[in-house]
Amino acid sequence: MSEHNTNQGSAVRHRHRTEGPQKHVIAFIFSIVLTLIAFAAVAAGGVNASFTIILLVVMAVLQVLVQLGYWMHLKDKGHMIPILFMAFGFFVAGTAVITALYWVWW
Amino acid sequence: MSAPHAEQVTSALPHEPEKATLEGRNKVLAFWLFLGGESVLFGTLFATFLALREQIADGPSADELFKLPTVAAATFILLVSSLTSVFAIQAMHKGNRKSLSLWLIVTVILGLGFLGLEIYEFAEYVNHEKFGMTTSAFSSAFYTLVGFHGAHVLFGVVWISLLIGQLAKKGLTVVTAPKIYVSAMYWHFIDVVWVFIFTVVYLLGKVG
Repeated sequence: MSEHNTNQGSAVRHRHRTEGPQKHVIAFIFSIVLTLIAFAAVAAGGVNASFTIILLVVMAVLQVLVQLGYWMHLKDKGHMIPILFMAFGFFVAGTAVITALYWVWW
Repeated sequence: MSAPHAEQVTSALPHEPEKATLEGRNKVLAFWLFLGGESVLFGTLFATFLALREQIADGPSADELFKLPTVAAATFILLVSSLTSVFAIQAMHKGNRKSLSLWLIVTVILGLGFLGLEIYEFAEYVNHEKFGMTTSAFSSAFYTLVGFHGAHVLFGVVWISLLIGQLAKKGLTVVTAPKIYVSAMYWHFIDVVWVFIFTVVYLLGKVG
């Protein structure tokens, strides 16, 4: 966050808050690596199934955090209400999943 | 940060034009609420799928059906399209309308590529694997969940295409910028849902 937003009425393009592509390219590479690990773990096979499942879930959660945090800017300042909206959505979604699994499997 | 006057809109665009007006900020905030609701919707579809994924009746199982190369290709196409929509927003923040339109067009093309792969995949299942909507509880849950995501991709492709047209007609202003920003959020969310789909539906289906 810059302290001065003096872009009113000025033709000069102030770029102090412009972020470069580097951060997003790093987030992209990170997502690719997480995806590759997940696919490789399944393609390789032979590994303990429950270990693979845990690995897959961890990779997915990490990737979702990267995408929500960096690409959708949830980790930036002033995003408390959006985080609340999303957290509540994920909470209800998670409850639905756990409930359905509970009904069927136990 | 105060809202710019109308006459400044064309001369000097604020640095983050999507948040320059109260209306723009409200659109972004409201869109987060919508995405929270979408999470619930997809959550219930995932819950149904997880509950029914082993009820294969006489049809093929997930392990017999899914081919990882196709899923991997679709995953990378969607991931790259998420990156190109980030580049579009960065071009918008630099006030570069041409580059913005170009990245949006690339995003739409990648979205169409993803849809093409998905249609091909579904057609293979229906025609060669005898895996239709009513084959088993697993097939119904699969087509509903993955198809719903595909419908979101289709909606996003149409939406962003219309925005490209509007951008050409009306230019990049504090009115058009929030629309583009919100469509990019939508596109990222589609990618987030896909992360869960390729993990829960395809990879877990292969693991068993």
